[in-house]
Amino acid sequence: MMISAIVFGSIAVAAALGVVLMRNPLYSAFSLVVNLLSVAAVYASLDAHFLAVSQVVVYAGAIMVLVLFVLMLLNLKDESEAPRGWLKITVASCGALLLFSSILPVILPAVETLHGDSVSGEGQLVEGSVLAIGRLLYSEYVPQFELSSLVLLVGVVGAVMLTRKQSSDPSPREGGLLGGGKS
Amino acid sequence: MSVYGLCIILSLALFLIGAVGVCVRRNAIVVFMCIELMLNAVNIAFVAFSRLHGGLDGQVAVFFVMVIAAAESAVGLAIILSVFRSFISVETSDVSELKW
Amino acid sequence: MELLILLIKVGFVLNLGLTLGSICIWIERKASALIQDRVGANRAGAFVTSKRWYLKPFLPGIRLLGWLGVINTLVCDSVKGLWKEDFVPDGTSKFLHAVAPIIAVLPVLLAFAVLPLAPDFQLFGVWVRPQVAPIDAGILFVLAMGSVAVYGVAIAGWTGNNKFSLLGSLRAAAQMISYELPMGLVFVALIVVYGTLDVYAIVEQQQNLMWGVIPAWGVVTQPIGFVVLLLAGMAETKRGPFDLPEAESELAAGYFTEYSGMKFLLFWMGEFCEIALFAMLLTLLFFGGWDIPWISLPEGVWWGALIGHLVLVGKILFFCLLQIVIRWTLPRFRYDQLMNLGWKLLLPVALVNLVVTAILKVVL
Repeated sequence: MMISAIVFGSIAVAAALGVVLMRNPLYSAFSLVVNLLSVAAVYASLDAHFLAVSQVVVYAGAIMVLVLFVLMLLNLKDESEAPRGWLKITVASCGALLLFSSILPVILPAVETLHGDSVSGEGQLVEGSVLAIGRLLYSEYVPQFELSSLVLLVGVVGAVMLTRKQSSDPSPREGGLLGGGKS
Repeated sequence: MSVYGLCIILSLALFLIGAVGVCVRRNAIVVFMCIELMLNAVNIAFVAFSRLHGGLDGQVAVFFVMVIAAAESAVGLAIILSVFRSFISVETSDVSELKW
Repeated sequence: MELLILLIKVGFVLNLGLTLGSICIWIERKASALIQDRVGANRAGAFVTSKRWYLKPFLPGIRLLGWLGVINTLVCDSVKGLWKEDFVPDGTSKFLHAVAPIIAVLPVLLAFAVLPLAPDFQLFGVWVRPQVAPIDAGILFVLAMGSVAVYGVAIAGWTGNNKFSLLGSLRAAAQMISYELPMGLVFVALIVVYGTLDVYAIVEQQQNLMWGVIPAWGVVTQPIGFVVLLLAGMAETKRGPFDLPEAESELAAGYFTEYSGMKFLLFWMGEFCEIALFAMLLTLLFFGGWDIPWISLPEGVWWGALIGHLVLVGKILFFCLLQIVIRWTLPRFRYDQLMNLGWKLLLPVALVNLVVTAILKVVL
């Protein structure tokens, strides 16, 4: 459990760095896929099997394929070399490091004490199986569940509305590819 | 250190990497992907804490985050596509005019 | 001990998947020849002779295999692939080009891990469940692996660095996502019927008889689901009348235009393993797995499990043959017809099927 969490966690961090550092957006997308799959493995090592599988289905299987699809459709070149704003980059990464080093000392001991309590206490371990999560979803969280399905519906309708080509305004780039229905 | 502490570190690191990406990158699709990265970081923290507390509510929350992320990706990519259609670019700096 | 059993299981499952894939390749060669009124591969090895005494007893067998075309399709083709030039197009990532076929094959082989191969049996006092990963999210895992397989195709098309490859991979990605929806809905209907996601438990429940007469196979309880899954699965394997991503007359070879040698063979192998996987899925979910109607196998004995396994393999081979015959009989769809079939016919039918199933489940 520990070993797999360490291995896949470090793969996830490396892939996340790849997402930010790669020039070509397509490489960024591929490293994000690696990141999502290794996060799924981290879930599995935390005994959240349902979440691990649905992470693969939803994130890696649907969202990232959509992103890849759009990237290939637009066929973008590498990000232009023009002013990349070194000041911005240094400020952002320094701020991130500062946040990291200031939050971690606070939150880590708290987690460890919580962990100690739970080990000394009941020490109950609940496995995130399909059955258990399904029970919870369809009993306690029914309104939220229905609302989330509504959100999905609105998302789909919105996507179709946004990508539909208006016949009145002339689009600068003619071509059948972009006119087709997405989603 | 327990596996939970490790997951918190992982979550924090991924979140900050994603945040830096959102600030630094200019390609709208990459910015979008960095937002997904941040959502994932939060999900890891959710799972770790739910495991720590011995309940499943955190995992249900992750499930809802995934649903919202799916809807968000559909709408977000549609917006990026229509931006590309009128500007022939998805660089955020090219799309900075308020009125076009 | 546990680890040893697991390793044996893994080896057995991988072997089964790859062997079924190879048999599919041979069936494809011979069946296409028969359908097109040709003879098909029958030369290589058919006239082999040798003066070595230790080879003598094997010669008739080798000649028979050669005459059947097995040596031509399984030995000569792979040897040819090994010796071919490994061509990498300019201007793309060599790494991604090499990794794409692996990504295309790996999920298919991984998906075999959750599928059971035979009923439980007892050997040397140890109960064995012939299933590598008995996880409770069985069908969902197969679906997840199916969606990961899209990446191999997408990366392959992109690293081809030409328009044909890119168009082929765009088509393939769109097609695989579209047909995943009706497939998922059929799985949901099956879950409603059987109340579990574990494939072993689903097969167990199909051993019973309905009203004491009809075998409770999935095809009896979910006939519409079976038809939808058959169509969606054939589209998912990108073959048959759905082979738009690699349509020769339009796109050269589609997303693997730029591949040669072993990398091409890996794609080829992955495609046939996918056929075998899908035939296995159909057998396990809709045709009772190792069930022989009205005959119950002895439980927990190794030879009972063996008979069950052979029955399962027989059914799988039948569905492989069915897919290959369909692929060589029907003409290719047009792309809009393909999308219409997926979105406007299969998806609504699967949805209605799901709703009706849920209502019947509550009423009955």
